[in-house]
Amino acid sequence: MTRLTARELTVTAGTRRLLNSVNLDLAPGTLVGLIGPNGAGKSTLLRALAGLTRPQAGIATIDGQPAADLPPQERARRIGYMPQTFQPAWDYSVRTVVELGASRVPSAGHRLDEILRVHDLVDLAERPWSRISGGERARALLAATLVAEPAVLLADEPGASLDIGHRIDLMRRLHAYARDQIVVLVLHDIEQAVRDCDRLVLLERGRVVRDGPAGDVARTSDLDRVFGVRFACGQLDPNTDAMLMLRPEA
Amino acid sequence: MRLILPIAAILALSLLFGLAAGHDWVGPAEIVRVLSGAEDLQARLLRDWRLPRVLAAGLIGAMLGLSGAIFQGVFRNPLAEPYLLGASGGAAIGATVALLVPLGLPSSLALGGLAFLGAWAATVLVLAVARGSGAADAAGLLLAGVAVAAMLGAIRSFLMLALSDETVSLQVVLSWTLGGIQTPDWAGLALLTTLAALALGVSLSLARGLDLLGLSEDQARAFGLATDRFTARAVLIGAGVVALAVAYGGLVAFVGLIAPHIARWWVGPRHRALLPVSATTGAALVMVCDGLARAVLPPAELPLGLVTAAAGGPFFLILLRRRLRP
Repeated sequence: MTRLTARELTVTAGTRRLLNSVNLDLAPGTLVGLIGPNGAGKSTLLRALAGLTRPQAGIATIDGQPAADLPPQERARRIGYMPQTFQPAWDYSVRTVVELGASRVPSAGHRLDEILRVHDLVDLAERPWSRISGGERARALLAATLVAEPAVLLADEPGASLDIGHRIDLMRRLHAYARDQIVVLVLHDIEQAVRDCDRLVLLERGRVVRDGPAGDVARTSDLDRVFGVRFACGQLDPNTDAMLMLRPEA
Repeated sequence: MRLILPIAAILALSLLFGLAAGHDWVGPAEIVRVLSGAEDLQARLLRDWRLPRVLAAGLIGAMLGLSGAIFQGVFRNPLAEPYLLGASGGAAIGATVALLVPLGLPSSLALGGLAFLGAWAATVLVLAVARGSGAADAAGLLLAGVAVAAMLGAIRSFLMLALSDETVSLQVVLSWTLGGIQTPDWAGLALLTTLAALALGVSLSLARGLDLLGLSEDQARAFGLATDRFTARAVLIGAGVVALAVAYGGLVAFVGLIAPHIARWWVGPRHRALLPVSATTGAALVMVCDGLARAVLPPAELPLGLVTAAAGGPFFLILLRRRLRP
């Protein structure tokens, strides 16, 4: 079983600490959400876990190996990283973007048609990137990331530009993927994070201030303090956390 | 596979135009007669003088098209051109020294060799400057390229002023900077063909990396590309290819910029098709422009770079307009 860990992970930019001694242990079986206000270090943590940002101190490892030191091809095969968005220099078709994602693993090429179908992209496959919507781009990028079936999926705001139907579908898909693989999402929508994630990591100014089951983190006063908003937490169904509701109070 | 026929047709038509154009225009029937082995004076002139020159023009154009596609791919920028990282400035310094300093070498060897070394060395210098300052990404390279190109321009101007005297005309240097194809002998042409084929083969090994870089540097890394190392490799290969083109043809303007655009409009942005088609387009452009350079104002011959810029500019604008039309 794959393990992703951060030990005293510290990333700086100039004199500013973007991440400050972060410790995390991640394993398959739970959908993990990174939450926190703007500038808390969520995306930096995601990139450091992906081995794309080299820490100034501490270490991020996958199965004991430093993620930033893995050969790029191997790292890309084992860790799928999905940025919030990206702008290709050339007007690639959706199929090309997914093909390039598949090129990480020689055997992934034959899954191309299947992954296009699974992600509802068959009709868009030949459409240029400039002629699809933000939501369609997010789906295409997720397909390009998952086509290589990485053991770890790190996604920055994967549902931000999806309509409600596709967002529900995406979260269902990510939940299914998280059963056997590690899935970590950066989420800005706290209500969605509480509703959809199993575990939440609350970040504030580069530090982890809470890490635990989504229901527990949702009920702490830390959430109110970090965001500067009073949240009302309730449950539609008192017997299960699955229907946990969180609303900012007026 | 589907590209082979159109590529062959374009190259054949451009070759025919190149053979036909000149001080004396030659008709298709005459070309067929000459190529089928006629031995009179006109046939020998056409076969031994014009044919190798047109073929050399095609090969130089192919290398310009190829290097243009590599540089645009590396820098993810449709305005990038092969001379971007100081290759033109470096080559011009090499050529200035070769043309103005008596080196005791055959002039064609000194000119080609020093232009090649200058172009290559300038790009290596840019790469070293960018890496030394910790900015080996595309933006860092571009900035280092601009700075190095400015310095090389100043050095070249100084050399031209310091080295020229009444016996050596600056016009020779200026004329070289406007580009021009010399007629090679058959052995020279064979060498050029081998080098161009090698350049195409090596460039094709960059195709997947250039495709990945086209997504974004970040995404390319996420998909497993060692971007800094790949960028350095691609720049060195691109610089080598453009240095060869410069060594054989001087500074031919515009071809390296527009050939990849035309190719991209034709076959799309994937580099496995784009690189050979860009080479084809470059070859066709230079063969046609070299023909025009010989034919427009006989018996004078216009500098090739002047024709490529004058003919390529409006053509490019028309294509751009069609492209931008909703």
